[in-house]
Amino acid sequence: MTRQAVLSPGITGDRRSAPPTGPYPADSVKKDLAELERIAAHIGRALSFMEVCGTHTMSAFRCGLAGVLPDNIRLISGPGCPVCVTSQADIDQIIAAAHMPDVILCTYGDMLRVPGSRGSLESARMAGADVRVVYSAMHAVTLAQSTTRQVIFAAVGFETTAPATAAAVMAARRLNLNNFSVLTSHKRIIPAMRALLSSAPVDAPCVDGFLAPGHVSVIIGTAAYLPIVRDFHKSCVIGGFEPPQIISALTQLAQLAGENKAELLNHYPEAVRPEGNLAAQQLLNTVFEPAAARWRGLGVIDQSGLILRMEYADFDARRRHQLCTPEDHEPRGCICGRVISGAAAPGECPLFGSACTPVNPIGPCMVSSEGTCSAWFKYLPNHVHPNRGWSNQEVCT
Amino acid sequence: MCLAIPAKLIRCEGDDGVVDLHGMQLPVNLQLTPGVRPGQWLLIHAGFSIETIDRADAVKTFALVKDLQDASCAGNGVQP
Ligand code: SF4
Repeated sequence: MTRQAVLSPGITGDRRSAPPTGPYPADSVKKDLAELERIAAHIGRALSFMEVCGTHTMSAFRCGLAGVLPDNIRLISGPGCPVCVTSQADIDQIIAAAHMPDVILCTYGDMLRVPGSRGSLESARMAGADVRVVYSAMHAVTLAQSTTRQVIFAAVGFETTAPATAAAVMAARRLNLNNFSVLTSHKRIIPAMRALLSSAPVDAPCVDGFLAPGHVSVIIGTAAYLPIVRDFHKSCVIGGFEPPQIISALTQLAQLAGENKAELLNHYPEAVRPEGNLAAQQLLNTVFEPAAARWRGLGVIDQSGLILRMEYADFDARRRHQLCTPEDHEPRGCICGRVISGAAAPGECPLFGSACTPVNPIGPCMVSSEGTCSAWFKYLPNHVHPNRGWSNQEVCT
Repeated sequence: MCLAIPAKLIRCEGDDGVVDLHGMQLPVNLQLTPGVRPGQWLLIHAGFSIETIDRADAVKTFALVKDLQDASCAGNGVQP
């Protein structure tokens, strides 16, 4: 059953076009692009839309979207890559935990090569630490059942990933495991979007609307974006990941911006429901509570993190192993913080492509499979953005 | 890490299921999608099914997923 697209209740404006339901013949993509060009020409001013999802970043760069968008339409990557937004202090804490005696540190593969202040999990492993990559948080629980050593599951991620951690904690409680704990830096996307709009770095670009993340929205639902639409008058279009779906979402965003309207639209109704995944939300609410969290480049944002509730504090690795919080330092010369907030493009980093490459990454945006620097390096011809002549001042009108 | 991958559920017992992903059989935890049945298509993220989807929608995203994974594996070696 294909779900119907949802127009947010109480928000004015009509739906201009049905969401794409594919497959996508070249003709339909050309038609969508022509429509976007027509709208962009009619508006006649620069518009910046922000995506806040690592998969949108990679998909848009992979298909060369930047090269075919109208000159006055820009898609900026915001704080959507979970590895990239994790503060340096949190990365350093995870690496320090891996070095503790009698500990097995389990984590997702994306974390392995993220550079800390001194080394990475990969180099810790080469130095003798027991670091294991798991496909699921439940594998770390299974491992804890088979050993007397302490197993720490280190995870970052948005609302898509956090329910898996919550399920692992509940399973460990059920199994009475006293050698399992979690070291997490889970984040919530809506507080970050609010922070970007209300207290963005001074050089951050104006955002005319959001291409909202598809798979985070599967969990939190469409209604979660209403405050962004109502309080900040910014449209949010939840988009799928294929190029025609992204183009269709951008066309919609451009049309709404041109008419000075703010709406919430679901262009990914095949997976995203208005209420989201209630089972996942219930699990999250049982195990975690919202709390202030530190983001790379955005500082501390109120209510933007998830910490274990008191009832589950026994499973908090920070508490059980008395981990201290290292100081928060960006790698020298790295501007990941500005890249994440949309204030700078990777090409503006003096290290990009020279000292910092996917083989020798300096910052997380280059090492993560969903990082903006990584996307620039992999997909842009000669690593140069077709719209590099744009400055943020030109965008902020 | 934001990516969820479509796969077909081939068997399940309680919260434990097995999905078919391009001929590979992978374990999946089903507690976030209660009531799913073998034959249904699921979106899988970090070893958990997070939503049910149509077969047509699943097939549509295979090429994208494969391409992104190839790129990611080439760059980073390992993916969750
Ligand atoms: S190119 Fe490297 S050093 Fe520069 S911002 Fe990106 S990740 Fe950081």
